Amino acid sequence: MKQRILMTSGFALAMVGASACANEFNPDISLVLDGTYKSQDTALQNAEKGFSLGHTELAIEAPVDDLFHGRLSAVLEDHEGKTEINMEEAFLETTALPYGLHVKAGRFLSGIGYLNGRHTHEDDFSERPAVYRALLGSHYFDDGINASILMPTDVYWIISAEAFDGKQMSGQSHDKSVGVYTLSTKVGGDFNTENSWQVGASYLHNRLTELENEEEEHEDGHDHEHDHGDHAGHSHASHSHDVEYQGKHLYILDAVWKWAPNGNSKEEQLKLAAEYLLAKDPNQYASSDDFQQGWYFSSSYKFQPEWTVSVRVGQVDLSEAHGDHFHRQKLDEANLALTWSRSHFSLIRMMYTHQSSDDFDNDGSALSLQYQMTLGAHGAHQF
Amino acid sequence: MHINSKLYRVLIGLVIGLFSVKSHAVLNVFACEPEWKALIEILGKERVDVVSATNAFQDPHYIEARPSLIVKLRRADFLICTGADLEIGWLPLLLKKSGNQKVLATQPGHFMASDFVKRLEIPHRHDRSDGDVHAAGNPHVHLDPQRLLLVATELKNRLIQVEPEHERFYENNYRAFKTRWLSNMDRWKQQAEPLLGKEFIVYHRNWSYLFDWLSLKELADLEPKPGVPPNSRYLTALLSKTDSTQAKGILVSNYQNPKAAHWLSERTALPVITLPFTVGANDDVQTLEGLFDAIIDQLLINGEK
Repeated sequence: MKQRILMTSGFALAMVGASACANEFNPDISLVLDGTYKSQDTALQNAEKGFSLGHTELAIEAPVDDLFHGRLSAVLEDHEGKTEINMEEAFLETTALPYGLHVKAGRFLSGIGYLNGRHTHEDDFSERPAVYRALLGSHYFDDGINASILMPTDVYWIISAEAFDGKQMSGQSHDKSVGVYTLSTKVGGDFNTENSWQVGASYLHNRLTELENEEEEHEDGHDHEHDHGDHAGHSHASHSHDVEYQGKHLYILDAVWKWAPNGNSKEEQLKLAAEYLLAKDPNQYASSDDFQQGWYFSSSYKFQPEWTVSVRVGQVDLSEAHGDHFHRQKLDEANLALTWSRSHFSLIRMMYTHQSSDDFDNDGSALSLQYQMTLGAHGAHQF
Repeated sequence: MHINSKLYRVLIGLVIGLFSVKSHAVLNVFACEPEWKALIEILGKERVDVVSATNAFQDPHYIEARPSLIVKLRRADFLICTGADLEIGWLPLLLKKSGNQKVLATQPGHFMASDFVKRLEIPHRHDRSDGDVHAAGNPHVHLDPQRLLLVATELKNRLIQVEPEHERFYENNYRAFKTRWLSNMDRWKQQAEPLLGKEFIVYHRNWSYLFDWLSLKELADLEPKPGVPPNSRYLTALLSKTDSTQAKGILVSNYQNPKAAHWLSERTALPVITLPFTVGANDDVQTLEGLFDAIIDQLLINGEK
């Protein structure tokens, strides 16, 4: 918003009787600077040991006309010493369809689960829960289309369906026209002025699990020397959004509860969130014992306008595919984070991560320090 | 959580939603703040059914686009808000998620009160190191009764544009309001005469329009920058460099944390004056008229000394 006005401040000054922002054609631009220092590597990590840039994001967004809204966000990421630019979002969405209908097309974050559709810089932790990192590559976005309907009910109820290419899920190209389908629903409301809630259920159908394993089978078939465990030490693991642990059928249940005295979340707020993910049929060799599952429970308490303390516990129970058989991997993770936010636009966070596992080599404890600075447009306050 | 009973309620709601005949009997209004709910109820009386997205205890800058608000906006025929970026963090998201064509910015059902008055404090410099300043100027326009009357005039015109068949109804209500309001304004001005030129310390610059109308002066802000909460270092500096003997008191609104004001009060012997910022702030403040009555009463108690 600020950019728009910057260029036209003289004009805005002269104007009374019309909104100062409604008539400019300049889009909202926002840049998120994100950097981390981490004391140790951890299993299934997003951020590496030492200093690194996280999700440095440049986003441009604006109404296109009276029917469409567009957004693009490019993320700068370091990958093996090279800086890569990844397009995470490039989509249009409708703003004026009747009957509560809404369509989004292009590349965007899938709306499954509670966290997935949110930008990572809205989180109260430096990294997504382990179950998201393992099963959704931290946050699953892809090229496709989303259609949703807001039901005409007294209680908030939204149903949405998506079709995706699936490239970002499997990490490779394929010949299927649609690789991933999702179906999800959310219901929510207020108990009273102070308490609000939302629950959701999602299903993701991944048609690419067999395709990927056909290739893996070739590689592994010739050279049966597979490395056990430790994926995070693998150079490919950090910053890659490909999903490491897949399943043909992914089910997600999520619930959120928020409390603020008098509903005034500026001064004080408590947020509780929990999700459970279950992915079945990792590939064609899988038996009913081979599946991926995990959960997390998080609680964030803003005890002063500038300070938030957050605690999260979670677990993943995974089946790592090795050709025609699987190895079980289990990881417990707990996080404690303290966030100081000077204004809407800046935050500095300290997070302690503790992991325990018998199956990952680099599980352990790590302390991380993170900053996140937003320049430009004012972000939205999502529920 | 009783999933079953929730599900049951959802299904019932769905059935009612699908089969209820859409009634044109009343105009469903979504008001962002309680002051606009009060104003549109004066003009629309029984013809409007109004919900307010926020209450008097919430800071209207910091609202989340909650599911319940999305549903409320989806049902609305008319939207009335402050505008001037006050609701920038949540209204655009609500508009997008509710998908309600009737209240989109291009429609007559989209009414931003601050668009119709001359705003104060439009910054000459747009730099976030000055804090969370609104480039469109100070948005808290409702605390000047003169500007409020201007908004009421425009709102009446807009309601007639939306419902031309009820022109006479809205005109009559508006005229009755205007007569009453003008005489109130005379009374308030008279009552507030002893306050003329008096200085106050404020928590946040949300009293500027009131001060403009009553010719009061703002000596200092407790917030180091707009939107940045007070801290002890800043308050200590404020204490040493401000001649607080000139001030009559420290103003906080009931949704603001009074801690900093009490800290300063203990060191300066200035009274903390908790003013209602909008309708619904306490039992005595249930109308716009009651709001100004209460504000002036509170200021007089301390300001005449």
